[in-house]
Amino acid sequence: MSDEREFEPRIIYFLCSWCGSGGSETAAAHHLHYPENVMPSRVNCTGALPAVHIVRPLIEGADGVVISGCHPGDCHYNDGNFRARRRVALVKSLLDTLGLEPERVWFRYVAHGEGQRFVDTATEFNDHIKKLGPNPLKTRRDT
Amino acid sequence: MNDKGAILPAEDGVEAALVGWLKETLNKKIFDALLIPVEVPAGDSFAYLLLKDPAILDDASPLPPVMPVQGGKAISRLTMRGSGSKRVAAVVRPCEARAAIELTKLKQAHLDNLWLITMDCPGVLPLSDYLEDPAAGATCFAEASLEGDRGPMRPNCQVCNRFSILQAPASDLHIGTLESADGTVLIVPGSPKGERVLEDMDMPLDAALDGWAKRVGEIEKAQTEQRRRAHAELREETAGPDRLLDVFSSCINCHNCQRVCPVCYCRQCYFESAALKLPPENYLTRAERKGALRFSPDTLLFHIGRATHMILSCVACGACEDACPMDIPVGQVFSLLADRAQETLGYVAGESLEDPLPLVAYEMDELHQVEQPYVEIYCKQEVQDA
Repeated sequence: MSDEREFEPRIIYFLCSWCGSGGSETAAAHHLHYPENVMPSRVNCTGALPAVHIVRPLIEGADGVVISGCHPGDCHYNDGNFRARRRVALVKSLLDTLGLEPERVWFRYVAHGEGQRFVDTATEFNDHIKKLGPNPLKTRRDT
Repeated sequence: MNDKGAILPAEDGVEAALVGWLKETLNKKIFDALLIPVEVPAGDSFAYLLLKDPAILDDASPLPPVMPVQGGKAISRLTMRGSGSKRVAAVVRPCEARAAIELTKLKQAHLDNLWLITMDCPGVLPLSDYLEDPAAGATCFAEASLEGDRGPMRPNCQVCNRFSILQAPASDLHIGTLESADGTVLIVPGSPKGERVLEDMDMPLDAALDGWAKRVGEIEKAQTEQRRRAHAELREETAGPDRLLDVFSSCINCHNCQRVCPVCYCRQCYFESAALKLPPENYLTRAERKGALRFSPDTLLFHIGRATHMILSCVACGACEDACPMDIPVGQVFSLLADRAQETLGYVAGESLEDPLPLVAYEMDELHQVEQPYVEIYCKQEVQDA
């Protein structure tokens, strides 16, 4: 079995409950498809997503994590997406310093009506991770 | 900070001069109590005492050779529920004062009625080195600090570039001991609160700080260079999953590093909570995926996850490394992580009470490098290609 052909990344997609999830609803209404190995996970606001929940899947089996919240200025809670951006910057800085591939974390705004953008992000990230290959921590028993 | 300081005669050494001066502040009722390191009766360690009786002050060591308890933690324990009506002066090292500032911002300490007194810090010995022979350790520390040799100190102290009030403007009063060749030390006020103390003590601010500041600047420059080099080397040694797991592979999950960390203040640590105590099926699934699963699990998650929680407040004191029974260079790794993470968010832990905590504040126009640019209609493009 060729690993390259068979590698199907496990991707966690954190969506905020106002814009990101709305984007996925719009995508559903338009019958748009995205890769089935992308697992959407709804959080109330990306600003409420603790940094440790971005790191945890990366250590324990996911190949990538993508986070989508509202566009700047559109946050339901006014500033959650700005806070999320700082947290993502923190996580990326830590991963970069430790040599753990910060490019496995993506942060992109998706608005409620942007079903296509949601699907594109999922697809693009899936391809991006396929190119990167499996997360090396995934198979390490001593994490 | 003021550009003038007061002069304190120190013919019998810095510690004796400082103890004498502190005794005077107690006698003059400028402070009601002191929080100061005192040698334990057994003579093999030091502990912070909340000291009311000036007579006990004779045993005090304002500059002990080791740091068994981070002063920031002691200050937090004292003032967590409010600042109290009595005036307390805490004699701590610059990194401990910075931790106290961070804890105040995190609402774990109150500095309204507390004066932070710091001094030019020569570093501290690693606890394990000192415990092998406390007497020899004390001599070694005295010699090394006199010569400005940081070789025997904690690895984090060896590369510390925030050893004085000029780089860590956290304290109310700072004792400048560098350039004290003529038998005097400087007392530098770092805040209006500190200036008032000197006023009440009738100590005029008439000493120029130029010579001392120049010396501090020189050492800082050398230390910063040393720090840069050490961090580059450390990154070489730890970067990448293989090397990183090698570094942390001897971890015994004692969580000592978390317990002694001054800025790890949570009542319930996430990594000791039910969130990480999972049903056996979870572990079996993970074992199946990986082939095997190390127990206790989640070691790397503990270290990286702890970093996500506290790294922006990390003052790189190295207490975690002192507490590690397995000699993991956890303090050095966290100091490297802290420098880079704090630089990313434009923050320096413990520098001032005014700077907001970086995860509380935000700018509208910043950090665009973490936003992933959108490739227009990616799917359709792919369909066309196909």
